[in-house]
Amino acid sequence: MPGSALAIGTIFFAFQIYGDFSGYSDIAIGLAKLFGFSLMQNFAFPYFSRDIAEFWRRWHISLSTWFRDYVYIPLGGSKNGTAKSIRNTLIIFLVSGFWHGANWTFLVWGFINALLFIPLLISDKNRKNIEIIKPSFNFRGIYEIIKMFATFLITCFAWIFFRAENLNHALKIVSRIFSKSLFTEFHFPISNDINLILIILTFFISIEWIGRKRKYGIEWVQNIKHRYLRWGFYAFILFLIGMYMQTKETPFIYFQF
Amino acid sequence: MNNKKEIYHFLKHFVEFIIFSIVFYFFLLIICGEIIPTKYLKNLNYNFGSSGFTRERLKEAKTIGNIDILFIGSSHCYRGFDPRIFESYGLKTFNLGSSSQSPIQTYYLLKKYLSNLKPKLIIYEVYPGPFTGDGIESALDIISNDENDLNYLKMAISLNHVKVYNTLFYSIFKNILKNFPDEQTKNKYDNYIGFGYVERKNCFYSDDSELQEKNLELNEKQKSYFIKTINLLKQNNIKYLLIEVPVTKDFYSKYRKKEDFDSWISNYGEHIDFNKLTILNDSLDFYDANHLNQSGVEKFNLELLLKIKNKNLF
Repeated sequence: MPGSALAIGTIFFAFQIYGDFSGYSDIAIGLAKLFGFSLMQNFAFPYFSRDIAEFWRRWHISLSTWFRDYVYIPLGGSKNGTAKSIRNTLIIFLVSGFWHGANWTFLVWGFINALLFIPLLISDKNRKNIEIIKPSFNFRGIYEIIKMFATFLITCFAWIFFRAENLNHALKIVSRIFSKSLFTEFHFPISNDINLILIILTFFISIEWIGRKRKYGIEWVQNIKHRYLRWGFYAFILFLIGMYMQTKETPFIYFQF
Repeated sequence: MNNKKEIYHFLKHFVEFIIFSIVFYFFLLIICGEIIPTKYLKNLNYNFGSSGFTRERLKEAKTIGNIDILFIGSSHCYRGFDPRIFESYGLKTFNLGSSSQSPIQTYYLLKKYLSNLKPKLIIYEVYPGPFTGDGIESALDIISNDENDLNYLKMAISLNHVKVYNTLFYSIFKNILKNFPDEQTKNKYDNYIGFGYVERKNCFYSDDSELQEKNLELNEKQKSYFIKTINLLKQNNIKYLLIEVPVTKDFYSKYRKKEDFDSWISNYGEHIDFNKLTILNDSLDFYDANHLNQSGVEKFNLELLLKIKNKNLF
């Protein structure tokens, strides 16, 4: 398979795993709310992050905070000098990788994330981007957007190791992507669906972008004063589910973890 | 008191929202069905005028009655029994087969058309393939090409699949408006002869593609609908035969657990597997791995007629 196909597959996987995991987290949060329980937010627009430290504050928040509270802080956190902070960071990323499964691919995935995180820690820039991205129409705004895309691509690179069957498989994919075949034209195996996938992806990314300043992407709908307009939006979501839901039984990716 | 009021308001709004959503959903479904190309509508499969001429067949079925033999089953059925051959022996027949028709569709089609067609004998074509599937494809074909009624609503509920519900509703809308494209009785390869039969002439099978093994693990729901169908025929005192239309030897050899299927189906009536009885040539008498061409149909039908005669069914 050419590098171009593998690169596109990797990007699609990034959205697949986000949609899968964030989606079922939202189902759990919503169902719990119906019974009067408030569960914590688990995803906060992770693909709009401008560096890997921000990504990890926005991705799988429940697990990250658990590791922070029960592994990182008991190990001393960042209070005992840079060397120990680096050691503790390395440990939590490796443990996080191992938590996903006893496979070298997950350990390497954790290690890559640690390697990307540690330079920010050393340069004291790991808490630089706390607020969600609000780009303005100037040079700085463009720079923010570029950083966001770069962080997304780095995350995608790490996902290769997360998704691969084994380390050899992952390395083959990486070597293919970083070869001349990255620029080879290929026929998409599901050519009928590619436009549909792109339309749906664009729609959902736009919804997330519009709603990114709030806790959840469509939270702003609650503020629509006109009842039928608000209901119309909810009904439109129901329609999208009815029209595009998966009709074959496909277990959530994250159920295996 | 306040709590009661709150619950009342909640329930009132909830019911209003449900009604609003249903209306909105179907409104969007119709709009999208009318203006967006089918390939972008993943769960709406309105296959009007499918390759099996289902629309023409079902339309004709409403105008015919008091027949001698009714054929029912999959594409092997509507491509396997030529009414002209049976007519030459004085038998009036009709073919109610449809693409990938599974026992679920057979049951509901018979519920709808049996009283009208009034057959003396039913030749139930029991190709094992549809017994293993979910029956969705065939349901979409029938729903898209017939006037929908309570029977098809019951079929949709029994299948309980979003594609079937979406297509059923959209088809009802199309039927109300009578907004159909032109009907065709011919395409590049096939010719709709009438009485439900589709003829394919001068096409021959060449075994250039690798066939996959077919494990005949029967779907429990299909099994139960098959039994319901048999009970329906018994209740109506209609004689029936369970027939397997020949497929190529290549294709037949790929079945796994075929003996289990044969032994199970034989419990419900006389089962005749023409793969064992007929001598057909894979290259001359089939147009693909599992469908007879006209030459094959003629040979097979004569053998079937001989069987019917030997059994004194007419």
